[in-house]
Amino acid sequence: MIRMTKMPLKGIRVIDSSYVFAGPYATGLLGDLGAEVIKIEGPERPDFTRGGAFSGLLPDNEARSDPWNRMSTYNLVNRGKKSLVVDLARKEGREVLVDLLKVSDVIVENFTPRVMRGWGLDYPNMKLINPNIVMVSNTGYGRGGPYSNYPAQATTQEATHGLAAITGYRGGEPSKAGQSYVDFLAAWACASAALLGLRYRRRFGHGLWADIGMYQLGCYNVSDYILDSIANGAPGERIGNRHRQFAPQGCYRCAGGDAWCALSVRDDEEWGALCGVIGQPELARDQRFSTEVARRANHDAIDEIIARWTATVTKIEAMERLQAAGVPAGAVLDGRDLHFDPHLKARGLLEMVRFPEEREMGPCRPIIGRPWKFSAMPLTVRDPAPTFGRHNREVLHEILGYDESRCSALESAGIVVDKPRKIREVPDLSMDQRVAIGRLAYWDSDYKERLGIA
Amino acid sequence: MLPATLDDVKVLDLSQGLAGPICAKILADFGADVVKVEPPGGDAARSMAPHFGNDPHPEKSLIFLLANLNKRGVRLNLDDPDGRELLRRMARASDIVVESFEPGYLAALGLDYAALSQENPGLIMISITPFGQTGPYSAYQSEEIVTYALSGIMSISGMAEREPLKHGGMQSQYEGGLSGAVAVLAALHARDVIGEGQHVDVSLHDVIASTLVIHQPMYGWVGAVQGRRQPSGSSYGHVQRCKDGYFIWQTGGGAEWSDIAEFFGPEALKEERFASVAGRVVHGEDLDRLVLEGTKDRTMQELFRTASEKYHMLFGVVQEPEDLARCPHLEARDFFQEVDHPVIGRIKVPFRLWSMPDAPAVYRRPAPLLGQHNTEVLGDMLGLDAGRMEALAARGVI
Repeated sequence: MIRMTKMPLKGIRVIDSSYVFAGPYATGLLGDLGAEVIKIEGPERPDFTRGGAFSGLLPDNEARSDPWNRMSTYNLVNRGKKSLVVDLARKEGREVLVDLLKVSDVIVENFTPRVMRGWGLDYPNMKLINPNIVMVSNTGYGRGGPYSNYPAQATTQEATHGLAAITGYRGGEPSKAGQSYVDFLAAWACASAALLGLRYRRRFGHGLWADIGMYQLGCYNVSDYILDSIANGAPGERIGNRHRQFAPQGCYRCAGGDAWCALSVRDDEEWGALCGVIGQPELARDQRFSTEVARRANHDAIDEIIARWTATVTKIEAMERLQAAGVPAGAVLDGRDLHFDPHLKARGLLEMVRFPEEREMGPCRPIIGRPWKFSAMPLTVRDPAPTFGRHNREVLHEILGYDESRCSALESAGIVVDKPRKIREVPDLSMDQRVAIGRLAYWDSDYKERLGIA
Repeated sequence: MLPATLDDVKVLDLSQGLAGPICAKILADFGADVVKVEPPGGDAARSMAPHFGNDPHPEKSLIFLLANLNKRGVRLNLDDPDGRELLRRMARASDIVVESFEPGYLAALGLDYAALSQENPGLIMISITPFGQTGPYSAYQSEEIVTYALSGIMSISGMAEREPLKHGGMQSQYEGGLSGAVAVLAALHARDVIGEGQHVDVSLHDVIASTLVIHQPMYGWVGAVQGRRQPSGSSYGHVQRCKDGYFIWQTGGGAEWSDIAEFFGPEALKEERFASVAGRVVHGEDLDRLVLEGTKDRTMQELFRTASEKYHMLFGVVQEPEDLARCPHLEARDFFQEVDHPVIGRIKVPFRLWSMPDAPAVYRRPAPLLGQHNTEVLGDMLGLDAGRMEALAARGVI
């Protein structure tokens, strides 16, 4: 097959005026596809992934003089972008954005509706500035409906959009799981909407507006429960790691500390195979377990039997032996395992991003690429995430054609800056302290040797 | 009628279950002509619970209904050489094929991308499977919990002293369908501007792992690995009980600590020791007790509205499926679609993922009955006459 020599979004300019995960990740992925992405932040409003609770950790836990450029999550999500820092609270700053909108194709933003209206940058106004612009707005509840002005964030939404009601240990309280779950639904939705918008524009000659609300996306993903309620009056349920139908299903402790293997048995044949693997083939004929209904009724007893076997093998052995017999099973991989798992390695999910020497980030660090492989487009992360304001001059001068005096006027007025005036703190704790207070499970001081990036 | 973004795109949906069908449904919602091709026994989703009236009838599967709105349906036997020939001809007349078979299945039938694209070089095929087309686990058997375990997300879900915990429901399926939509739209864009089709390989395992943007790079930055939640030391960010249910709150949003203290009520919350993040961690147990005191006699809805509207707090309540089924906000956002289904009858179905006023997701038809559009599709698409179709039907090909 002929390899495409040009990236599909080459020549498309995207303004990323969004914060944290959803919009920034979506635009990072559009950048992987070839778009030129310009990230806009404010002098007093650096992206929340540059410091504080969402920002991850510093390279080797060292802040140096610019911690806001060094945080792990910021650098993953914002790969390949250009950085423009301009104060949109000031009129002269908004003029820069308006000029940039005139020469851009897509804007992804997550300001509250009130702010965008106040700035004259809601879609009706945006359309006057550039009728071809594709505007993607992502907010907690979207721009219409009774909750549209409610503050929102993934952790609290996980309850409201119905996921917590069906997540939790069996018989226990509703629970949250994972991290900022709904943000990633919104990331895929933002990227989809941007691509739909670009196609719409090519076909019909003008841009459009996509109004994405994270709540709605989260609700959609519990549609099977919503429909069960509508059709059958069925309540939600918390069944832990069990399955509504298949039995047994669970997550079992293996040899080697905090080590677990998940498995699911979907029919009698797989049950027979599992009994063989654990060295108790006679259980396949045991009447307590011989049908799905019986196995559901005697699930606790089966759990004990399986756990006695898994305790004698590593999580990888458990997975490999069960899979060899055709039983769905998977080791619970942790943050370290993800970097050494042979399957993820073979698929190349993690990519090494190279940093220029002056960033003092070490030569390279592994980050998540993207979960799709295109046979004709060899995508990679193209560049590291930019330092704060790194491309101010490039954007103002080369893209917008501002002359030297206009550029320096914006800089001396503090409207365009390359150092944040406010930054969320990263707690100054040693790695061992982080483990001691439970923020981390453990850390490997020799991680660079293990990863081969020393 | 508003123009539809994809009304010039023809899609063959060979996929089953939830992830692939959701991806194809998103294309259909924005105007694509999607033909769902099912094996003689029907899509596996037809036997998945829940069913309407708890009746395990293949036309009453609610998951099938949800994921196949807006599609026409053909029943086709790919084990028969004539069935395979019909599929080849349909693929020749299509822009996109969506499939979710075990890797290698279509190749064995001579229907993989290499074969189908020979006669249609602009064809895009998207395969959405648990572990993708390549790599040592590609032949592994999977279930939702297995995808979750291997993706890394379970290692940070649940309590530290207990087993890792899966998200409820079938999140990787829904999310894989939505993420797959990005990939297939990117391939369509590439074809529009560069003129070439291609095969897109989506792994649900990769999709879920891709959400770990806090967790994953901590290792590559400093060798750090997060675990599950400790039983103490984090006094908020988890659910707490009120009069009629559960709620969850966080600092931030537009609320100062004094607002939050006033919202919950007890005077002691205004004490200096609760005003800082560090203080709230150290005095977590006292904080929880005071919050409980201020909320135990209040309802979820009152708390949610007051916290959000009056105090601009980050505040969530644990809504049950029935709450979502009658949620005024979802109604106002046109989330639901009234569907008239020939077997189920009239039913409200979750439909719109987001709003796009100039080119919205448009509802056109319910999910197809098994083989409902055999005649229409094979006649339209391939020009088969009635005699030929009867002969194929008699032999069980269609």
